[in-house]
Amino acid sequence: MEYLGLSLALFGAALAAALSGIGSAIGIGVAGGSAAGVMTEDPNKFGSCLILQALPGTQGIYGLLIAFFVLNKLGLLGGAGAVALNWNQGLQIFAACLPIALVGWYSAIWQGRTSAASIQMISKKPEAMGKAIILPAMVETYAVLALLTSILMLMGIQVG
Amino acid sequence: MSYVYTVARLRGMENHILDSAFFTRLMDSASIDDALKMLGETSYSQYLNQDSNFDKAIDSEMLATFHELAQFVPDQELLTLFRIPYDFHNVKVLLKGLFKVRAGDLNGRRYDLLSKLASIDTNELTEAVETEEYGFLPYGLTDVIPQCVALWDQTKNAQAVELLLDHQMFKAMLALAEKLNVALVTKWVKLKIDAENLKAAIRLARLKYDSNHALPFFHEGGFLRPDDFAKLMNEPQETWSRILSHTDISKVLNALTEQQDLKVAFSDVSAAIDRYLLEVLESAKYSIEDPANVLLYILAKEAEARNVRVSLVCVSSGLDREFARRAVIA
Repeated sequence: MEYLGLSLALFGAALAAALSGIGSAIGIGVAGGSAAGVMTEDPNKFGSCLILQALPGTQGIYGLLIAFFVLNKLGLLGGAGAVALNWNQGLQIFAACLPIALVGWYSAIWQGRTSAASIQMISKKPEAMGKAIILPAMVETYAVLALLTSILMLMGIQVG
Repeated sequence: MSYVYTVARLRGMENHILDSAFFTRLMDSASIDDALKMLGETSYSQYLNQDSNFDKAIDSEMLATFHELAQFVPDQELLTLFRIPYDFHNVKVLLKGLFKVRAGDLNGRRYDLLSKLASIDTNELTEAVETEEYGFLPYGLTDVIPQCVALWDQTKNAQAVELLLDHQMFKAMLALAEKLNVALVTKWVKLKIDAENLKAAIRLARLKYDSNHALPFFHEGGFLRPDDFAKLMNEPQETWSRILSHTDISKVLNALTEQQDLKVAFSDVSAAIDRYLLEVLESAKYSIEDPANVLLYILAKEAEARNVRVSLVCVSSGLDREFARRAVIA
């Protein structure tokens, strides 16, 4: 039971990085499929397609950020050794990782789908690029809120 | 290949489809040479250079479209769905030739009428019909061709043979759509059967058929039963819209209530039906991966080919352009 707290905290960090990373990979994959289809007919749309395809990638970065935050809090970065953590503290850190893990995972997939639709939109109306970016960016709002929630929760947890 | 890629690529290809403004200009051409020159600036140009016959050039463009789609559409059955009618057209051409030869007309075979757009290779189909080796033929042709030959031998009725083939064609299309298991595609095929029955009903009404004689002309498989269409024969055409008001297809019948001349009404209803079949699939436009988008694109391309044909025929033979404008699908 000595390492249960640490294990729970690390599991949370792993989930934050992994789930949001998986979501981003799927989202970018979906948007990439759409971008490839549009660029087959019009290779000049590469720039616009790339911007829209990259949008679902941010959730993976947010997950990584939270994982670093947790590792730093646990003293696992810098070589000073892990801080002592009881199971209750470990569970708190695990819970703090959940918002970005779950919202990041799911929002990245849906942002990818919205990006794919936007890519199809600029295929027909290239002049609507601004609107095409705003639509998937709306999904991003909720990933940012989840990131903030995770950061605020982690900042409020006392360890060591 | 995923449908996300497919649909996105189709969106790009849709940009090259000729629009109604182009057809207006095409129909206003002073001569067929001017019209062909205008068409020479489109994707049809490469085929117009190869062949002076614009009908063949239009078919070549459609064939090239099918070949291009075959490279990236995940379910080839979606393309087959559109090629089956050409297969049955070819079977009709071959059987008519066969019957003429049997009747003593040694020049009765018209291989020039065979369509390249069919899914079965025309040479293989010709050989199968000539040698009576139907075993490998798909879409139920294995059974229906011998039935057609037997029916011809008994009745010498070419129309009955055509009907038998048409019934089988719609049966095969519906079976293929159900195999694809895409709700919108199945709905479209069923509505297409209804639409075909409705066109037949208008034609039969012009010929003053009663319900008993008209019944065999209607196909099974649509949302409405053949009986429902046969019953229309006993009613005045202007009431059909009201009789079918519980169905989706009734809206295309408005032309019947407005037009007394059935010939003009048929043209209006046909154009309305084609528009309606496009509209049915339009909900797929809002999906990034609905397979029905493939149908939507092929329908748009077929409408384009039809519009090109109507416009060129209109210009070359000096037909009434107002009539042609009505026949052109917006």
